[in-house]
Amino acid sequence: MIGEITPAALHASLSGLAQRQRVTADNIANINTPGFLAGRVDFESSLEGALRNGETPRINGGTVARSLEPTNTNGNNVNLDAETLIATETGLRYQLALNALDGKYNSIRTALRTS
Amino acid sequence: MTFPIGAIPGIGAAIGTGGVAGIDSTAAVNGTGAAGGDAFSSILASSFDQLAATQANADGLAAQAATGDLKDVHDYMIARNEASLATEMVVGIKNAAVSAFTEIMRMPI
Amino acid sequence: MAIFDTFGISGSGLMTHRKWLDAVSDNIANVNTVRRTDEDAFQQRMVVAEAIEYGTGEGGVRVARAEFGNAEGRLVYQPDHPLADEAGYVKYPDIDLGDQMSQMIMAQRGYQANLAVVERATEAYKAALQLGKG
Repeated sequence: MIGEITPAALHASLSGLAQRQRVTADNIANINTPGFLAGRVDFESSLEGALRNGETPRINGGTVARSLEPTNTNGNNVNLDAETLIATETGLRYQLALNALDGKYNSIRTALRTS
Repeated sequence: MTFPIGAIPGIGAAIGTGGVAGIDSTAAVNGTGAAGGDAFSSILASSFDQLAATQANADGLAAQAATGDLKDVHDYMIARNEASLATEMVVGIKNAAVSAFTEIMRMPI
Repeated sequence: MAIFDTFGISGSGLMTHRKWLDAVSDNIANVNTVRRTDEDAFQQRMVVAEAIEYGTGEGGVRVARAEFGNAEGRLVYQPDHPLADEAGYVKYPDIDLGDQMSQMIMAQRGYQANLAVVERATEAYKAALQLGKG
């Protein structure tokens, strides 16, 4: 009745989103740094792959790569609008994943009640 | 999305009338309870099946939420709430049945 | 996610309006850029917005291309200017400051409107997360 993959997938999502939040803060802090390339976190690829194969996802916060989008005149390619939206979206998805994990634990707790 | 309470009319009727069809018949108390016991256990079994289905649905949507493929957040919230309510209902019935059985076993014959 | 599609759409709106604002500020910065009469004047830069997947409600907007204004400019008589030709004329860009200022206000309003959409979508999402909490 209670699959073990769901809590692990949500845990992997939470650590990936937390990593993304940190990298986005780093990008925004470096918005005027010459030569700075924006960081991008990808945890969805490995998570989707693991779920498709029915394996338990690994919880490692995803991989961080440098964005290769075009830079401005001083070599910086951080786009403030994109980063702001990523930050908002990441915050909301984090809340959703917490909510989902909470719901899962409550379900199990209810089933364990004896009165 | 159908709401679990509506989909399990047998149990709803049983709770509404304040008695479970099988248990309060003397046949169940005597232990031979063939017809009464079967009615109740089949109600419980079908509610477990539907509970498993709602849980699986909620888990599937949770996995989509984890990977970011979830189209509408309210789909997941509704599925999770329905699964929780179904769980609580089934567990409530199980606990009521267990305590009723315990009561009955305690009755002096 | 339906709410996150909203983020993508508003995001495209924000970026397009920012590019508009960039073009307007570039024009205003160069409103007094003088050139010789035998060269092209500084040309006003305008961004052309194009809807993505027009009409489906799931699109957004993008900058299709930049267009450039009149290269002929205005000839102004300034014989003391180092770039003046034999007749004493230099070329000024054909940019109307009043027009640029009103465009700047429109671009800023558009930017703020898209930001307001993002905020509303965020509120709606958070409200959905409270479902079932009583």
